[in-house]
Amino acid sequence: MVGAGEEPVPEPVGRPPTELPSPERPAVATAPESRFRAWLGSPLALIPLILVLVVAAVLLIASGFRYFGPSFWSADYNFVPGSPNQSIWGIGVFVTGTAITAGLALVLATVLSLALSISIVVYLPSTPSRILTILTNLLAGIPSVVYGIWGFVILAPYFGLTLEPSLRDAIGWIPGFGGPESAIGPHGILLAVFLLTIMIIPLTTALMREAMRSVPNDLVEAGLALGATRWEVARRVRMRSARLGIGSAILLGFGRAVGESVAVAMVIGAETKLPVSLYSASTTMASFIFYQLDSAFFYPDLLQFLVEIALVLLGIALAVNLVAQRLTTAEIATSTTVGAAGAPEGAR
Amino acid sequence: MHSSGRMRRRLLFDRVIGWALLLAFVVVLFPLFDMLYWIGANALPTMSWGTLTENQVGTGGGLYPMIQGTFVIIAIATAIAAALGVLAAFYTTEYAPAPIARIARIAGNLLAGVPAIVLGYFGYFLLVLYTGWGFTALGAAVTMAFFMIPYIYRTTDIALTSVPRTQREAALAIGSRRHQYLARIAFRIALPTILTGIFFAMALGLGEAAPILYTAGFSSTPITNLMQPTGTLAVAIWQFYDFPATYGHFLALAFQAAFLSIMIVLGLNVAVQLLSDRYRRRLRGLYQ
Repeated sequence: MVGAGEEPVPEPVGRPPTELPSPERPAVATAPESRFRAWLGSPLALIPLILVLVVAAVLLIASGFRYFGPSFWSADYNFVPGSPNQSIWGIGVFVTGTAITAGLALVLATVLSLALSISIVVYLPSTPSRILTILTNLLAGIPSVVYGIWGFVILAPYFGLTLEPSLRDAIGWIPGFGGPESAIGPHGILLAVFLLTIMIIPLTTALMREAMRSVPNDLVEAGLALGATRWEVARRVRMRSARLGIGSAILLGFGRAVGESVAVAMVIGAETKLPVSLYSASTTMASFIFYQLDSAFFYPDLLQFLVEIALVLLGIALAVNLVAQRLTTAEIATSTTVGAAGAPEGAR
Repeated sequence: MHSSGRMRRRLLFDRVIGWALLLAFVVVLFPLFDMLYWIGANALPTMSWGTLTENQVGTGGGLYPMIQGTFVIIAIATAIAAALGVLAAFYTTEYAPAPIARIARIAGNLLAGVPAIVLGYFGYFLLVLYTGWGFTALGAAVTMAFFMIPYIYRTTDIALTSVPRTQREAALAIGSRRHQYLARIAFRIALPTILTGIFFAMALGLGEAAPILYTAGFSSTPITNLMQPTGTLAVAIWQFYDFPATYGHFLALAFQAAFLSIMIVLGLNVAVQLLSDRYRRRLRGLYQ
């Protein structure tokens, strides 16, 4: 079939016939000498996966976290070019900006993604759901700079002149939506939150969709057989049974939102003070690194500060990812003990 | 029937929710179409053949250097990332002892979670400052490869492990070595999925300015070798987007670059769909 017309392979000898090879633990222990094999089977291929962590460790040791200390977490940041003694290095402002933008975007994206994935998995017939899946995936392919320029040129005037003043008038009593009028401008947290929400939805939706799809069919059918409506089954069987997968999707979405630099840098306004409302200009850790790196070329102390922000950012991203991975492996473990047929689909 | 009123209410609620959930699609897809519309409306009127073939001069000209830079960097990055990603997946699915394979998969997922800007920073530190190269296309390609590897690695890994077990058993039973099974059977069956992964990674890489801006720098003339600053479309948008209105044409250039990026990404999507359809058709016989 496939091997037709290729040179005959030598007979393997001495393999016990009862031992079936499995993908996890290959039973065939023969080691033919071949350049091909050396390449295919080389653990060296794993090096890139490890190298990034090694670079991080080297940077960590080399940088020595010079600014690390009680004041490192404070909201005082003041960089005076050329005079290191007057500069104050606190990352509180950036952490706050990241927490607010990523946190709010995550809440919105979670609600929307749940609605989208329930629609796709439970309600829609297959053709519309395929088309809508393709369209939401298209959002994932759009470059983040394109989101940025769209936000900067098209959305910013609308946010600053129309949406934000009317939000302030209408629901100003909600904390964050009030505040001084001076905070209102085209660029700020609200616009960044909007962009981030749209940007992470394809990821969270894809992951939630797969999690809900891989809920064992017997559970769903049992629910329907008991007379539950589709919504009740979606709510009490699918969502409950896929809760770990949903949790991991939320975490991975958070990781993506925290790490997004370019689009946020273009719309958030680069303000290094604490925000007074959701309309204020602000900065996030990732976007700060992005637009400060070229000035850091000339100022070693600023470069040092950026290393430390990058390492904090890396730490957050890795921690979020590890937890998300623990959740999905836990889910695979429970769904296989429940008696699911086959492993859940691999999601990107 | 006493319960029919309640049942009717539950069924009604079910239908209402079904329609209400569709609102989420409006919320999500409106921005998509709005964005495509405005990018097109701002880019197309000012575009001509010159956009694709001319150098940028002052506030005018075309985007040829950035198109060239984008393709050069992505081509090299894809070559590196595809080779390493696929080999790493070969190793983990077929050769690695179970604990090492587990760690490798975790590491792959972790690498996918590293923010692009952090990778860009590491690239800047290692390939710009430490090596003393300065801003180069090669440094950007290597940094971009690191960004792409985890996606290629994970899709290849999933594709290889989901090759039907019987294929492997049949291959080994007729005396194939594992490398022969991998290269001649598993790889061919998994190829459509692997290609999807590679194209997906390319599309992601194309749009990411963060790893490139501080490794390739920027240039508005075409490059003649890999060791010089290089312009790319993604970075061009970042360079041109916020000039005051008096420099109107800069904004036009930014929109043109955005339009071209979207077109390339769409092209990649269509290409991968066609390619994998063709392979699937050719491979269909294998599964019977």
